[in-house]
Amino acid sequence: MTGDRPLPLSGIRVLDFGHIVAGPFCVRLLADLGADVVKVETATRQGRTGARRGQRPGGTNGRTPHLYHINRNRRSIDLNLKTERGLAIARQLIDKADVLVENFSSGVMERLGLGYPTLAKSNPGLVYCSMASFGQSGPRHGWTGMNVTLQACSGLMLATGAEGDPPIGISNSWNDYIGGLHAAVAIVGALSKRRATGKGCHLDVSQFEASVAMIGSLLFASAVTHKPPARLGSRSNTAAPQGVYRCAGEDQWCAISVQSDAQWQKLRVLFGGDLRGDTLAARLAHHDAIDTAIEAWTGRLGPQEVERLLIEAGIPAAAMRRANEIAATEEWRWVLRPLKEHGEAGPKVIGLPFTFRGSAPREATEAPRMGASGSAALSDWLGLDESAIAELMREEAV
Amino acid sequence: MARILDLTNLMGAYGTRLLAELGHDVLRIETPKGDGVRREAPVLDSAPRTEASAFHQFLNAGKRSAAIDLATENGRKLLLALIAKSDAAVVSLPLPLAEEKLLAANPDLVLVRLDDGPPELCAYASAGLLAITGEPDGKPTMLGGHVPCAAVGVHVALAAVAALFAKERSGAGQVVDVSAPQCLASLAEQVWVEYSATGEMMERLGSRGGITAVAGALPCADGHWMISVPPDPRGWANFVQLVPHPAFKDDASLADEAMRRERKQEILDSIAEWSRQQKKNAIVEQAQSLHIPAAVVTNPLELIEDPQLLARGFLKAIDHPAFGKINFPVGALASMFQQAISFAPRLGESTAQLLAELGYSASEVDRLRDEGIVG
Repeated sequence: MTGDRPLPLSGIRVLDFGHIVAGPFCVRLLADLGADVVKVETATRQGRTGARRGQRPGGTNGRTPHLYHINRNRRSIDLNLKTERGLAIARQLIDKADVLVENFSSGVMERLGLGYPTLAKSNPGLVYCSMASFGQSGPRHGWTGMNVTLQACSGLMLATGAEGDPPIGISNSWNDYIGGLHAAVAIVGALSKRRATGKGCHLDVSQFEASVAMIGSLLFASAVTHKPPARLGSRSNTAAPQGVYRCAGEDQWCAISVQSDAQWQKLRVLFGGDLRGDTLAARLAHHDAIDTAIEAWTGRLGPQEVERLLIEAGIPAAAMRRANEIAATEEWRWVLRPLKEHGEAGPKVIGLPFTFRGSAPREATEAPRMGASGSAALSDWLGLDESAIAELMREEAV
Repeated sequence: MARILDLTNLMGAYGTRLLAELGHDVLRIETPKGDGVRREAPVLDSAPRTEASAFHQFLNAGKRSAAIDLATENGRKLLLALIAKSDAAVVSLPLPLAEEKLLAANPDLVLVRLDDGPPELCAYASAGLLAITGEPDGKPTMLGGHVPCAAVGVHVALAAVAALFAKERSGAGQVVDVSAPQCLASLAEQVWVEYSATGEMMERLGSRGGITAVAGALPCADGHWMISVPPDPRGWANFVQLVPHPAFKDDASLADEAMRRERKQEILDSIAEWSRQQKKNAIVEQAQSLHIPAAVVTNPLELIEDPQLLARGFLKAIDHPAFGKINFPVGALASMFQQAISFAPRLGESTAQLLAELGYSASEVDRLRDEGIVG
C-alpha cells in the first residue's frame, strides 16, 4: 500500500513513560498510526528487563529481543526523574505533548510530581493515559498485577479449556496486548473528543477490565443464569464438528471447523460416508463419536496433509503452526516488516494488521539505545539549540 | 459524535461495541431474520429467540438495530440512503454492494472493510497462537468465549477511530482494510521474536506462568489461585512469610531464582500442598499485602459480583426488561468515559424511525415491511 496521504496520527506528539509490554505496546500502535513518539527512560532504573526475562541472551541496542521489538519507532531520552532538572525537562516535554502514556503502579506518577491534575494545569489539552493493572480506584487499585495473574483473575483461564480441565492460559503476554489495544482506542477516541471540547482528559485504563470485557458476553450469561458458562474446549455451538485433532507425529495437531451441512456432506464423502448427523443438532449430540472417527483418520496423516486434503474438499481446516512454521503463511507474510536500518536481510518486526488506503504504512525503525536520541527530541520538541542541550548534558540531567 | 453503520459478523461486533462505548451512534444493519450474533450460545431462556443470545446482549448493547433485507434491490437502495447520512461503515466482507457504489453515495465515508478470514479456530491455529494455548502434554485449545474474535474486534475499533480522527482533521474519509487472520498473527509476536532472535520455540504452559521461575495456578480448598513467586531475594523472603512450608524455610539455597528454576516442580508441589488447605480470597489478599503478585482464578459467575468491577462502574446494577435485576457489564471504555450504554436492541427496533428520517411515510414503511424488505 502506497500513497501520500498522512497517517491518521501524523503530527500527534506522544510521550511514552511505559515499561515492560503493555505501555510500550500501546505507544507502538500509536506510532504505527503516525504519531511522533519520545520515550522517557531512566538509566538508573534499568532493572526491569520485562517480558520473559531470565531466559534471554543479550538483545540489540541494549534491549532484550522482546523489548527491542516492542519499543521500535520512537526516540529515547534518558532523564533522571529523581533530580529537579530531569523532572523540569520532563515537564517541558509534557507541555508540548498531545498524549502521555504510563503503566506504572497506581500512585507512582503522583509521587514523581507528574500526576494528571498537576500536568493539566499547564497543558489542559493533554490526553493522559494511565494503565495500571486494576486502575487508579477501587478496593484493588494498589494491587500488583502481571500478565499471568491478570489472565487468572479476569476469567480468561476458566473460560478456556474443557469441563474438568485445570485453569488454562496462553503463554505470551496476551493480557498486556489486550490492555494496550484498549488504551490505544481510548486515546484516539479522546483525541477526537478534544477536537470538539479543546480539553484533554485522564484515561484511567484498567488492564483487568480490558481483559474482563473480552468475555463480557459470558458475564452477561452468568448474571442471568446464576451459573458459570460451560467450558467448551475448542468446540462451538454453531459449528460442528469443530475441534483440534491429533495427527501423525509428535504433538502434531490440525484444527477443523465444519460450518454448514454442505461442508459436513463433503467430509462424509471424504470419509466414505459412515458418519451420522445430518443436522447441526445431531452433530453436536454425537460430537464425541464424530471426533473419534475424525481422529482415526487424522492420526494417520501429517497436519499439513490433513489441512491440504480438507481445504481441497472445501472444509475449513488449519494445521497448528509453531514458531518455525508461521513465517511461511500468507497472513504472516503481510504482518512481517523489515527495519529501515537493516533492510530485507535484517530482523523482521510485526506491523499493524490493517492498512489505510492512500497512506503508506509507517516505516519501521529499530528501538533506540536508551537515551540515544534525547538531543534530537529536545531540539525538535522544545526548540533548544546545541549549546542549550550541551548545558543540560553538563548538568547530567540528560 | 459520528453515525456509524455496523455490518459486521461476530469477528467485528466487539469493535463496533467499543465505538458505541466512545459515544458514537452505532446502527447495526441486520437481515429481517436477525444476524448470526443473535444465534450465538449461551442462549438465555427468558427472552424471545432473537433476543436470547448472551453474545447479542453484550456485543450489541449500546447500538441501534435496523432490519433490512440487503438481498433485495429496495433494501440496497435503503442502505445507500443510510450510507449517505453516515460518517462511517464497518463491514464484514463481502460488501453488500460494490465499493464504488458505497463511496459514490458518500465520498467522505470512512469505510472499514473487515476480512473475517477462515473460522476463528482455524485462524487461531495458523497464526501460531494455538501452539501456545493448552496443557503442555495435552491437547492444544483455543482461548474460550470467542476471545480471539474480540481481539480482532479491538483492532477494528482502533482502525475505525483512527480513520474517523483523520476525517475530522482533513474532512476526507478513507478506506481501511482490516484482516482478522493478520490481527491474530500480530498478537503472536512473541512467538516470532523468541524464535527469530534465539531459535527457541514458545510452548504451551497450561496453567503455568513463563516469566518468573515459579508461577502457576494451584489448587485451594475452594478453587484455584495464581501465584508468581517474585524473582528477587526480598520477594522470596516475603513469599516464605506467606507460605510457611518447612521445605522453604529450611532451604536457604531457594533464595536464588536460578535454583528455583531448576526445582520448579518440587516447589510448586509444596505450595500446592499448603494451599489446598487455604481459602483462595484469604491467601491472595495476604499475598498482595506482602506485594507478591497473586490472584484468584475466577470464572464469569464470580466476576459478576466482583467488588472492583462494581466499585469502578464496569458493572452496573440494572433492571433489564427481559432479564430482570442483573449486574450489567457496561464495558471497559464506557465506564471510563461515563458513557451510558443502552440494552441490546430488539431486532429492527429502530427501522421505522430511520426510515422516517430518510423521508419515508408511515404507509411506505408498512409496504416495505409487508414486502419483507425491512423488519
